[in-house]
Amino acid sequence: MDCNSSGRSGNRVMLQFKLVLLGDSSVGKSSIVYRFVKDSFDEFRESTIGAAFLSQTIKISGSSEQSETVIKFEIWDTAGQERYKSLAPMYYRNANAALVVYDVTQQDSLTKARAWVNELKNKVGDEDLVICLVGNKIDLCDGDEDKRAVETGEARDYAAEQSLLFYEVSAKTGSGVRQIFESIGEKLYETKKDELAAARNRQMGSSKDQVNVQLQRPSTNDPTSCCY
Amino acid sequence: MLSPERRPSMAERRPVLSNSSSIVVPHLAGIEDPLPDSTPDKVDVLIVGTGMVESVLAAALSWQGSKVLHIDKNDHYGDSSATMTVDQIKRWVNQVNEGEYPKCYSNAKLYVSTSIENGRGRFASRDFGLDLAPKILFAKSDLLSVLVNSRVHQYLEFQSLSSFHTYENDSFEKLTNTKQEIFTDQNLPLMTKRNLMKFIKFVLNWEEQPEIWEPYSNRPIGDMLVEKFKLDKPQVFELMFSIGLCYNMHTKTPEVLQRIRRYLSSFDVYGPFSVLYSKYGGPGELSQGFCRSAAVGGAMYKLNESLASYDPSSKIAYFNDGSKVSVTEKVVISPTQAPKYNQNAPEQKYEIHRLTCIVEKSCEEWFTEGESAAVVVFPPGSLKSGNQEVVQSFILGSGSETCPKGTSIWYLSTTQQGPRAEMDLDAALEAMEASIVRESSSDLENDESILRFGPNGEPVINSVRLGQSFKEYVPREKIQFLLKLYHIQYTSTPPFAVVDPSLFDINREDSERLIPGASDNGVLYTAMPSAEISYDEVVTAAKVLYEKIVGSDDDFFDLDFEDGDDAAISKTDFENAIEDDEDDEDAEMSVGVGRSGTAECIGEMEI
Repeated sequence: MDCNSSGRSGNRVMLQFKLVLLGDSSVGKSSIVYRFVKDSFDEFRESTIGAAFLSQTIKISGSSEQSETVIKFEIWDTAGQERYKSLAPMYYRNANAALVVYDVTQQDSLTKARAWVNELKNKVGDEDLVICLVGNKIDLCDGDEDKRAVETGEARDYAAEQSLLFYEVSAKTGSGVRQIFESIGEKLYETKKDELAAARNRQMGSSKDQVNVQLQRPSTNDPTSCCY
Repeated sequence: MLSPERRPSMAERRPVLSNSSSIVVPHLAGIEDPLPDSTPDKVDVLIVGTGMVESVLAAALSWQGSKVLHIDKNDHYGDSSATMTVDQIKRWVNQVNEGEYPKCYSNAKLYVSTSIENGRGRFASRDFGLDLAPKILFAKSDLLSVLVNSRVHQYLEFQSLSSFHTYENDSFEKLTNTKQEIFTDQNLPLMTKRNLMKFIKFVLNWEEQPEIWEPYSNRPIGDMLVEKFKLDKPQVFELMFSIGLCYNMHTKTPEVLQRIRRYLSSFDVYGPFSVLYSKYGGPGELSQGFCRSAAVGGAMYKLNESLASYDPSSKIAYFNDGSKVSVTEKVVISPTQAPKYNQNAPEQKYEIHRLTCIVEKSCEEWFTEGESAAVVVFPPGSLKSGNQEVVQSFILGSGSETCPKGTSIWYLSTTQQGPRAEMDLDAALEAMEASIVRESSSDLENDESILRFGPNGEPVINSVRLGQSFKEYVPREKIQFLLKLYHIQYTSTPPFAVVDPSLFDINREDSERLIPGASDNGVLYTAMPSAEISYDEVVTAAKVLYEKIVGSDDDFFDLDFEDGDDAAISKTDFENAIEDDEDDEDAEMSVGVGRSGTAECIGEMEI
């Protein structure tokens, strides 16, 4: 299973997805996430910041039924390992979504972004992987269009041709940042909801599927507590 | 020992943190603080090779505050403990046979079926993850604590392994490893059950009862088990070879007791099993996790980079791509990545013979329901080859995500030295092959003499034929091997010992020890993986190296993550859950129950 439905309480369904960041160094990958996490002070904020990865929860508007859907992103930063092409297979494994970031003021960074898109399509087995192409630093072009090195149309055409989501944002001002995650969340919900429903039904039937052992939760002689 | 003129370590030079010795990890570590754009020209520690020990060391040093540059000459992580695709294995075998790893590996022989061929075969190279040095994780072990404290476990997925089989009399006996099983096993006489319980109670607390074991401290444990505890050969073998994972009959009593306790005290920490393994690959996967943790802590990573030489007087390391870095503390090198013209790389005296097979069979028959792995142990003398040393076999099914559905990976290894090791491995493989064909025998139903059809076409089983011993049944079906890899790995760690700290002393920076012209003067070499099938040596080795570099191991993974939510709470739970005392009480209770022999109490017995 590619994604986890990590429980439902009442009518609230929580879906968890792994999201990875890619792009050349210094295009502002981390700043986008930082902005997203910092600005999300709504009631669903559940931001666990540790050494492993960032978690951020959003509610998506796409599900109009009585039940509400909450998307929890497990956001993996490259931690600088992309710099010398040293990202481990672990980084890509079971990723459900990816932000591929370029700098609108650096023409070369879009070329690199294209290479990262190819790399992603190679490394990630999931055909439903949601990729969002993000042009960052549009604040630098405000009132100074000469600074822009990548035309919006060029990037948009490429994104359309590769079926990627596309946004231009500014991590500095926050413009457009939240929309990235909302639209990824909606697309993930659309592509995964059938699969999740199927998985849920399977679980209700026979639970022969192997369950992972959660290392942070030892069982004190309670044989059931080892699995969730 | 530390030499008096030794430079102060990082820990000594670092300003003391106010009223807390532990490191406080800032929010958004690795994200808030953008990393520098270029390679630094100065680092505290250079680590060469991304194997298991090196990766744990890198993470420990990074979180301690050392600036680490971690490189690997390969284009993948893991080095001597890598998890590889079939294509990567092919390349590695060529490198071994071209002499690229002198002292570390030799004699690699590889067969790959045409079924594994990218694009054309039924399987692709990357459908498989093969470990060079597969390992299992005891539920109560130092590495497990480090995985939890460092949060590296969040990058990984673990599954339970409760099937331990001992091969005897041409068949696999499933291990009677829990008290419940001891009491419910119909084949065990009451006396034996009682004696086994007596031993289990003793072993959980053995050090405090020298009067029992000291007379045997220089003798094989078999003597004590037979004389003191009146156990029979099948139980002795199970305790020594499956639970204790010993290599031969001669292992000394205290060493075995320690290891039997390791197994028993790991039982029920997470559930009714003692051992875990990681999905998608073993040590190769854990190495990636620790490297990522190190990177988040600030370490810099460079694959495809190799060390050319290190000059201990200027403290500059030179790389083969022409770049260089100044190192304030130490250079640590995996023996597999020693620079050309090295003269200090340690001797790797001991052989581990390994045979790795991908088999086109799910082998579910060997797994406990809901699991996807098993350990099979072939005690001395159990094989046709007349083996003197144990052959250990670790089997992974597709649930481990290291191989596709309908296939499994068999890792066989032995500490037998010399050419007869390969014969032992072949004999063990043959025994496994015969056993799985017999147990699965899917062609049984198609066998016309067994399955007949009644007048209305309904299938009728010929019970006379079926009743014949399965041992005499010669299956028509042959096991399909998709891959077979044999090789010898060398290690400086003797069988059954943990890494020897003196290994890291041979190359200190005292000038009289510098060999003129050597490219590796003044570096520390790590140890190659030992024959040990568990991860037990890893943390010990990483800690010893850490202490050599930092000056003390007090702050080894002494992390205090600020988000202190559920993870911090469960850390406390974890420590409580693994306390020894509980085990003893339980043992006492169970023994009491054992004597009265009442069946209704069985459910309460836990180890």
